[in-house]
Amino acid sequence: MAIIQVNDLVKTYQVGETETRALDGVSLTIEPGEFTALVGPSGSGKTTLLQMIGCLDKPDRGAVLINGQDVTKLSANRRADLRSQQIGFVFQFFALVPVLSAYENVELPLLLTGVGGKERKERVMHLLDAVGLADRADNRPDQMSGGQQQRVAVARALASRPAIILADEPTANLDTANGEQIMGIMQRLNQETGTAFVFATHDPRVMSFVRRIVTLRDGQVVDDVNAEAAIAEITPLTPEAEEIILTSS
Amino acid sequence: MAFGKLFTIAFRDLGRNRRRTLFTMIAVAMGLALTVIMSGLIADVYDQALEDNIRLETGHLQLRAESYESDKVSLKWEDLIDNPDEIAAVVDGMEEVVTAAPVLWGSAIVDTADESASLKLFGIETASPFHDPIREAIVAGSFLDDADRNGILLGQRLVDELGLSLNQQISVSAVDSNGEPQEDLFTIRGIFSTGIPAYDQSTLFMTLDKAQALTLTDGHASAIVVMLHDQHDADRVAAALSGSGLKRLTWRDLNSTLIDLLSTGQVIYNIMYAIVLLIVAVVLANTLLMAVFERIREMGILAALGMKRNQIMFMYVLEAFIIGLFGVAIGLALGGVGVAYLARNGIYIGDVGASVEGMALGTSMHATFDAGMTFWLSVATLGFTLIASLYPAWFAGRMEPAEALRG
Repeated sequence: MAIIQVNDLVKTYQVGETETRALDGVSLTIEPGEFTALVGPSGSGKTTLLQMIGCLDKPDRGAVLINGQDVTKLSANRRADLRSQQIGFVFQFFALVPVLSAYENVELPLLLTGVGGKERKERVMHLLDAVGLADRADNRPDQMSGGQQQRVAVARALASRPAIILADEPTANLDTANGEQIMGIMQRLNQETGTAFVFATHDPRVMSFVRRIVTLRDGQVVDDVNAEAAIAEITPLTPEAEEIILTSS
Repeated sequence: MAFGKLFTIAFRDLGRNRRRTLFTMIAVAMGLALTVIMSGLIADVYDQALEDNIRLETGHLQLRAESYESDKVSLKWEDLIDNPDEIAAVVDGMEEVVTAAPVLWGSAIVDTADESASLKLFGIETASPFHDPIREAIVAGSFLDDADRNGILLGQRLVDELGLSLNQQISVSAVDSNGEPQEDLFTIRGIFSTGIPAYDQSTLFMTLDKAQALTLTDGHASAIVVMLHDQHDADRVAAALSGSGLKRLTWRDLNSTLIDLLSTGQVIYNIMYAIVLLIVAVVLANTLLMAVFERIREMGILAALGMKRNQIMFMYVLEAFIIGLFGVAIGLALGGVGVAYLARNGIYIGDVGASVEGMALGTSMHATFDAGMTFWLSVATLGFTLIASLYPAWFAGRMEPAEALRG
């Protein structure tokens, strides 16, 4: 069964008197363990789609099924429960709680899901170790570099052992080395844990790591290719997708 | 989610803008301190006024003839007690009673060459301990003794106003039991100063015998004034004296104006306290709302992690609670210092006290620590801060996570 199934999703935003259709009938299926990128220029609907999948917003029409359950019909509290148990987030702006240390930030999702003290400590330290920041456990975000903060955010996203990690432009604010390091860590964790990763990005560095690339334009899916197969067979992207990627980067 | 972690986040969030947090705490503290000091002043004014009224005039219990009307200061024999000494002796023998003394009240006019003043005449048994407060308030000359047939006591303020002096002879006129004026010459034997302008300005004491002779009320008294060891025994003693055939009035009946004023005043003071605390609440709500606006994106992050709306709301309520708690602690300290200062030094109010009828007000106001009121004001302050946090908390919790993440 698909871990994520999106059916005919429509979302419109009203900005002043202007109505913008961010998603215009998007349908998509993501299988467990996938490592997928949603690409497209600004305003194509990547972030909106990610937020719909992540139960952070409700669509005007259509359905989002997580493990077969339509999350658009859930109450705010049930959606919060689902997020804490099944979905991890990594954001462009690092998004750590500034008043908490690295350890406490990673611990937060475990507190929300009620994981006991001893197990919590083991899991937090294991994850910080996995992202190479065990020695920075007591540091607060303002005492860490951008790359280190994003690694803490990755560790936090994985803390509650979610089935899905949604990452919105995770490398956008990082230099090349840090960006590739983050992607490498996520790729390794994807292989080790089987967690499905979905990225919203227009960073070519991300696209070189993923196995599937879904291209959006004007709120619609315009292309969906297997990146690994494409590379193996030296199959070029469709001209439209290539143009979008080139212009957006 | 563990309460401890929410508390940690709330507590540390307050440290992000220390100056703003500090000023908000000070606003809470000042609000509470102000109300504590106000309540301390009011409590002392009323307690002192009631105590002085009882001590100087009403006693804890009075026995009067059924027909006696205090407003008219009647001296008709049928309105007076005709065997006061016997009744006073019986009452004096009761276990709960400190002293019982007959007193005759009348209206008198003091005449000097240039001026005259209308006074309340007290005919007293000079040996009775009931009059110890006046005995102790003598600032010139001496107190009366029962053998003194032409001595009177006047208040310092009256003496100053009329330009009188100790041992000066003055003419005193009084209306007798038949409604006819009687006049006699008296010597100012002593001058007293109780510190209560209304009292020191309008009271004249002479011996009971002389007062009875002047007003032709031979052997009669207006009332038996009783002081008790414990004022709470007033009803019980009054009940025990039901066979006396006299009207029995407890200190509550006798000070009903003051007590009514207190209860009416308390409503007004409570409204004033509420206004002060409401202003504090607005300051706090503004601070929290600013904090919410600054941290909207963080709310989105917390929501994305799975924090529920009520947990986000609770975090802001906790912030308000912490501010409130520290504010109350500082406010209690400031209020305590203020009350202690005013208890010691007071505020000079001059003659204002003389103009308040029915209240024995001195020339300065002091404060007393009212533990019960302070407790309730602290609870109310904390309550107001929590109520003030509800709107910012609701505002933080109501947003869709995606909306919050957009900032």
